[in-house]
Amino acid sequence: MDAFTRSLALMRRGMGRGRGLALSVALLLTGATAPVWADETCMSPFMPKITGQEDYVYVWTLGVDGMGDGSDKLVTVDVRPGSATYGQVIASASVGGRNEAHHGGLTDDRRYFWTSGLDTSRIFIFDVHTDPAHPKLDRTIDDFVQATGGVVGPHGAYALPGRMLMSGLSNAKDEGGRTALVEYTNDGRFLATHWMPTAEDPRGATVEGVADGYGYDQRVLPRKNVMLTSSFTGKANYMRDLGEVIKDPEAMKRFGQTVVLWDFHARQPKKVFNVPGAPLEIRWAWGPEHNHAFTTTALTSKIWLIYEDKDGEWKAKAVADIGNPSDIPLPVDISLSADDATLFVDTFMDGKVRVYDVRDPHSPKLILEKSIGRQVNMVSQSWDGKRVYFTTSLLANWDKKGADNDQFIKGYDWNGTELTERFAIDFTEKKLGRPHIMRFGAASLYTN
Amino acid sequence: MRSSVMLLAGLAWLTLALTVAAAADSGHSHGGGAPVAPPRPSGFDYDPPKPGTYQLPPLAVAADGVALDETGAVRHLSELMGDGITVLSFIYTRCGDICPFGTQLMRDLHEATAEDPELAAGLRLITMSFDPDHDTPEVMAEEAKAFRDDGGRGEKGADWPFLTARDKGELGEILTAYDQRVLTSVNPDGPLAHQLRVYLIDREHRIRNIYSLDFLDPRLVLADIRTLRMEPRRQAAVR
Repeated sequence: MDAFTRSLALMRRGMGRGRGLALSVALLLTGATAPVWADETCMSPFMPKITGQEDYVYVWTLGVDGMGDGSDKLVTVDVRPGSATYGQVIASASVGGRNEAHHGGLTDDRRYFWTSGLDTSRIFIFDVHTDPAHPKLDRTIDDFVQATGGVVGPHGAYALPGRMLMSGLSNAKDEGGRTALVEYTNDGRFLATHWMPTAEDPRGATVEGVADGYGYDQRVLPRKNVMLTSSFTGKANYMRDLGEVIKDPEAMKRFGQTVVLWDFHARQPKKVFNVPGAPLEIRWAWGPEHNHAFTTTALTSKIWLIYEDKDGEWKAKAVADIGNPSDIPLPVDISLSADDATLFVDTFMDGKVRVYDVRDPHSPKLILEKSIGRQVNMVSQSWDGKRVYFTTSLLANWDKKGADNDQFIKGYDWNGTELTERFAIDFTEKKLGRPHIMRFGAASLYTN
Repeated sequence: MRSSVMLLAGLAWLTLALTVAAAADSGHSHGGGAPVAPPRPSGFDYDPPKPGTYQLPPLAVAADGVALDETGAVRHLSELMGDGITVLSFIYTRCGDICPFGTQLMRDLHEATAEDPELAAGLRLITMSFDPDHDTPEVMAEEAKAFRDDGGRGEKGADWPFLTARDKGELGEILTAYDQRVLTSVNPDGPLAHQLRVYLIDREHRIRNIYSLDFLDPRLVLADIRTLRMEPRRQAAVR
């Protein structure tokens, strides 16, 4: 067990203590009170989909001091088969500074790519429709914290008709994990802040065990009028060196342990599920009769299923371990195929992807385990399920050090049983930075 | 290597195709007096939130613009909105896939207002074509006859003009103002790729919600309309 793995093992044990404390606090204060990121198949249902071959992969990339211009940037990779520049970087649009580039999302018309910085709380909006091969920074939102009433760390950007729904990760008061959802119009005008339910203010939600008020991902199932949100940790932790965090017992108590079910249209929380271990990405099934979603917990290494039972009751339960949880593989991004049959799960620590058959969502079955690199974070698959892309960076201060600090994008073909590598781009060698979230582009989106 | 792009909201439209058809066949029989409550369409498996229990923040100003109604008369959007709550839908009549869902929603709302005179008095429905080369006032009159005037509702429902543009320049200004995306075609008779959007506009001419295919549930739109009706009127309109 190397130092990093040992650190994560300590983190996990600390998580358990934190959960116990938080649960005690919740019971004390509430008594018996009431009540997304990375690929074509994980896109908001409210936008056009690229159902065939994507032309470009846009990679929101963290700048690294002393590497190239040192700034965060949107990197465009050509993935058109037969192109003279297939598998190569063909454009890079720098934002002129480092902001802890992390997640983002396309607007409902796919004309703009909203990307955010967890450190500076700035939002960068790229025009990807005027010249899809060469996105340009169109505008920047600099007053996120002030406009939202103290939300910090804009994270995922989720398209709604004519607007964007952003999740925060933190708050300006204590830089802990309590945070909110935030809405903007597509042109960047602030609309509303919806704070996550807490033990002190559950906002009418039924609390299963604890209401920590944390946030991370947000995903909507429109035909049921429900939304799910998950929970990570605040700025005090995510901007800190991981080694320091895990040595700080108080910091270790401040990781998310909830998934919240919302009345989407009313933006009102209905039920707070207890999902310990920092549940991160959420993926709703696409099938018209499939009333379930998956998430994975980073620190406890489990696949969780959130589902509606035959009586119409929404429930959450752990349905599988990911690797050996005691090894702390640290599951990060996930991707559910468009036919709801397979779930890709990346684990950061061992650099692997695990593919599960989830046709029975209550009983996932491992069908492939493959090493992608020495670390891996994001996974994006095409709508037709034939191509899968991976990137590596988690957070600037959490990525591995030295030779283990792989920073790449790799493209694979997927035939249902095997992944075959088609290209790889070393972002360190190219002096680009740390590649994070990916989104797909296609010129045909903008022509009739 | 041309990408295949689905200009629809995921797979949801497939469900909606069945859903809206089911809603159209439901008959929408309602008793007098009580607020009209359309039955639950099969593809929308929830109960809409209670009107007035949630917020609909203003998204943008609902722009004015010049159009022709189905008689060929020049009309201004702001005049048609008047002091009522408006539901505005952009379509083109040659559209064989998604536009009919928007028009079916308008028809459902019209049916609801036909049985609720108070609701009808405060609601305006506007269907506007973005294909003036084909959708002349005469064509829009036929569209109105098919969707609005059948079923014996006659004058009982909310006002529901079917508009088209006087020229491409004026149309472009309206589409830009509403951020209604329509891709031009090199073939003058080809399809017009677009995103279906239906707009809810308040009495002060502000856009308060935008519905895509996943939200074309008349119960949801009626809940939003009733939420706006519960709001106090503002002293000064923001236009």
